Amino acid sequence: MGVATATLVETFKARDWRHFDVQLLLYVVLLITVGVVMGYSAGFNDPGAGPGASQTVKTLMWAAIGLTLFFVASSVDYHWLQTLGAPIYVLVLGLLAITMLIGTNLFGAQMSVTVAGLDFQFSEVSKVFMIAVLAAYLASRRERIGRLSTILVAGALMAVPTFLVFRQPDLGTALVFVGILIGMLFMSGASLGWMGLMAAAVIGSAPVVVSMLHEYQRQRLFCFLDPYADAQDACFQLVQALNAVGSGGWLGRGLTVGGEDQRGYIPVQSTDFIFTVVAEDLGFVGGIVVLSIFGLLLWRVLLIGWQARDSFGMMISVGLASMLLFQLMVNVGMVIGVMPVTGIPLPFVTYGGSSLISLMFGMGILQSIRMRSHKPTL
Amino acid sequence: MADLNDGRLDLRRSRGRFIAFGVVAALLVLGLGGRLFQLQIVNGEVYTGRAVADRTVEVAIPAPRGLVFDRSGSPVAVNTPSWTVRVRPADLPDADRRRVLARVAELTGTSGARLRARLEAFVGSPFDLVPIERGVTREAALLIGEESDDLPGIVVAVEPTRRYLDETGAAGGALLSHIVGYIGPVTRDDLLTLEDEGYLRDDLIGKAGVEASFEEELRGTYGSELVQRDASGRLVRVIETIEEPQSGTNLMLTVDAEVQRLAEQSLIWGMDVAGVSQGVTAVMNPQTGEILAMVSLPAYDNNKFAAGITTEDFNIYLADQNQPLRNHAISDIYPPGSTYKLVTGIAALEEGVTTAGREWPTYGCYQIPGAPEGECLFDWNRQGFGPLAMVDAFAKSSDTFFYQMAIQTGIDPLAAWARELGYGELSGIRLPGEEPGIIASTEWARQQGRAGVFTGELAQAGIGQNVIAVTPLQVLNSYAAVANGGNLMRPMIVRGETDADGNLVREYAPELLHRIDADPATLQTMRIGAREVITSGHAYNIRDLDLPGALSGKTGTAEFGELTEAGTLPFHSWFVAYLPSAAGATDADLAIVSFNYSAVVPGNVSAEVVKYFLQLYYDLDQDLRLDPNDFSLVTAN
Repeated sequence: MGVATATLVETFKARDWRHFDVQLLLYVVLLITVGVVMGYSAGFNDPGAGPGASQTVKTLMWAAIGLTLFFVASSVDYHWLQTLGAPIYVLVLGLLAITMLIGTNLFGAQMSVTVAGLDFQFSEVSKVFMIAVLAAYLASRRERIGRLSTILVAGALMAVPTFLVFRQPDLGTALVFVGILIGMLFMSGASLGWMGLMAAAVIGSAPVVVSMLHEYQRQRLFCFLDPYADAQDACFQLVQALNAVGSGGWLGRGLTVGGEDQRGYIPVQSTDFIFTVVAEDLGFVGGIVVLSIFGLLLWRVLLIGWQARDSFGMMISVGLASMLLFQLMVNVGMVIGVMPVTGIPLPFVTYGGSSLISLMFGMGILQSIRMRSHKPTL
Repeated sequence: MADLNDGRLDLRRSRGRFIAFGVVAALLVLGLGGRLFQLQIVNGEVYTGRAVADRTVEVAIPAPRGLVFDRSGSPVAVNTPSWTVRVRPADLPDADRRRVLARVAELTGTSGARLRARLEAFVGSPFDLVPIERGVTREAALLIGEESDDLPGIVVAVEPTRRYLDETGAAGGALLSHIVGYIGPVTRDDLLTLEDEGYLRDDLIGKAGVEASFEEELRGTYGSELVQRDASGRLVRVIETIEEPQSGTNLMLTVDAEVQRLAEQSLIWGMDVAGVSQGVTAVMNPQTGEILAMVSLPAYDNNKFAAGITTEDFNIYLADQNQPLRNHAISDIYPPGSTYKLVTGIAALEEGVTTAGREWPTYGCYQIPGAPEGECLFDWNRQGFGPLAMVDAFAKSSDTFFYQMAIQTGIDPLAAWARELGYGELSGIRLPGEEPGIIASTEWARQQGRAGVFTGELAQAGIGQNVIAVTPLQVLNSYAAVANGGNLMRPMIVRGETDADGNLVREYAPELLHRIDADPATLQTMRIGAREVITSGHAYNIRDLDLPGALSGKTGTAEFGELTEAGTLPFHSWFVAYLPSAAGATDADLAIVSFNYSAVVPGNVSAEVVKYFLQLYYDLDQDLRLDPNDFSLVTAN
């Protein structure tokens, strides 16, 4: 059965749902739950204005919207993304360009759509869309996949949105774009030699990128090398995070119970640091459980990719896997002091509607790929 | 296992790469777990200990800045509570930056771009609170507070803001801006040196005027307290006060704001009728050197700076060719013209070139010795005055008399006497930006690569032209020194320290720079000459003022720049005067100088300005101001 035979009629065939991957949904729901509980715990004794409860309600609203989107995306044949690859790319560039160019004063508020008091940022969903765009391109390369041009064109496709978000400035998302590109190129079968050269070029350009950063971004970026050198200022947040994680011990201090001598020192405002709450409240065991859920989730995503019916589905899967792995590494690595502080959210856990919705959309596509694959024997 | 690449697949699915990806992912996640183990289990104790220590931090408590009062005790620089919006960059996610700042701008009625620029200009820790808008209304502050959920990183707080008042106690910075100056945020460069002195990254510092020159007194001593910080770096509660802040010293100016207003009013009138765009009036007590008024026009509004001046406003000031930000009384130098004949006269008498009684011929045009026949320097009076001695020559302001005095005295003795009278040196007034001026000498000529000064230049130096440039304050101070009997005082701008209500509690002593090393008789001759300027010279009807004393002074017309189409040079006008009880007496307690830049009208505008000021100051019923159309009645020079 060829790609072209996927039709709307087939889309809603009941038998698709027999292949629904319950594990995928389970891990995602578990991670969202961790985020809600930890966000609530972190906000519980926050001496500042951020009321934990109202944030929890918002997160639940986003989760509901996200789940709906997940099921919608699951039930639709994912090939619409391949068909509409070019328009989607133009759309992404347009949204990001507008955000960058006129995302000031008057138009600033318009660039994040507000739904029932919930803000939505385009840079998050652009990550998922760019995975689809790259997947469509790479799948079309077929036997030419090993050529240098594959890497150059894919790099160019990714370079434009990467530059746009970098200029917003959103260093984190720009880095995620790069991570996705590398992961997808590798999995597509692109030439390892050429990729190595490209990687060398990227590393060579790092000083230029660093010089374009704001001073505070730069200071935060290099905190991880020696956080205690500037513990009171630029690296305060990281130092606090390390101390919080370190004081978690085996089983942690429990949820919301810390009181004034404990709670309030975790950087709850910057929810990128949510993993510190996990590690402090639930300890090493809790941290390992969360990491394990991520591990299982990655396993499911890769498996769906391996079993996908076609290259396009496979590439989308590995793109999402790359994104999840990259964000997990950089986010948790930042909190535990092995990665620079960049401000990349922890997938599903970090509070943030745009991020959650975009991820759920991506997982829905994944489910769609899963339900439409021929289940092979492994 | 079935070959997944069989037929229908368009890309080769590499099992190897899938395995590699999976292995890398597994290793990375394991690595995170391992690091977690190291942090939490292996080194857990260490971090638990640190967690307590890092929660407290010593924070500076700013001291209230000292107030500034005028001579009469009315406040002219005060601190008023106002709302300031700050940003903690760490709490404001990059992605939200535009939206949040745009909303704050909307609420405070400014532009998001401006707020962003201020935030981006700040260099420091992302946990510092960066002030982005001061002087916000209470309503706007409350609105921002209400939306705080949607405005991460934004903090609104009350803090003192500097406010500059005029003589009525109303906000009016322009009256005294060149004296009081203003405060502004410390710059990044300042901080390199000031951080050790306890300046904070978002601190304020005096930038101009007394605010800058008395920064140390006004700033006070910042205290410090131990506070608990929360995870995002916010201060949660004060644990203990380590040191209480010491308020800055309150200062009283020597300047009387009401006298300042009269000086400004008279100067504005004179500049207006003569079409002049830059002018100075300064009033001093010659006995003490206290400045009673110092007006430099155009002025600027220092309240604009106190609230954080906008780039547009600042650029308007910078682009103004009349340089409103500069205090022309001390920071700019001009040829003093005939007022400088005081220096030439004293030098000639002291160097033995002439005596008080010796008469010298005067000419319509003075033949420069050694120059080709016909190369002569004109007197302003092309007929000449006939033979004159010092007093009459000074009163009539004969140029050819003083050419001869200068040439006979020589350039270096003339320069030495200029310095003796305070020219070519800083007066030492405690205001920033004073200029020493230019006094021609052999040394000066050598610096320009010449062997010496030309004779023509020497003659010109004798009448304060061409090779002499001075500040209006120097002119005033030299006449004040002669008026008080030979004490060159250091001009004072701050009278002393006060309590919070403006009562003087510690008076600064007047400071003698040096005694003028001249025969008292020489100074007496010049004082008589200065009196004669008013009574028989060409200060015109100013002699008719019913003043409580014998006004003495000197007019000046100083050519500058390039020839006009009419073949003449544009000129500045000067008038300097003091008011002793009788002719030649050394008890004057009022001296005044007025200077009008490029006052190209037939009469001496500056004399008119001084006349009008004296009418106002002594509240005279007379109004002897000339009809502006009738300025030609006054003989220039």
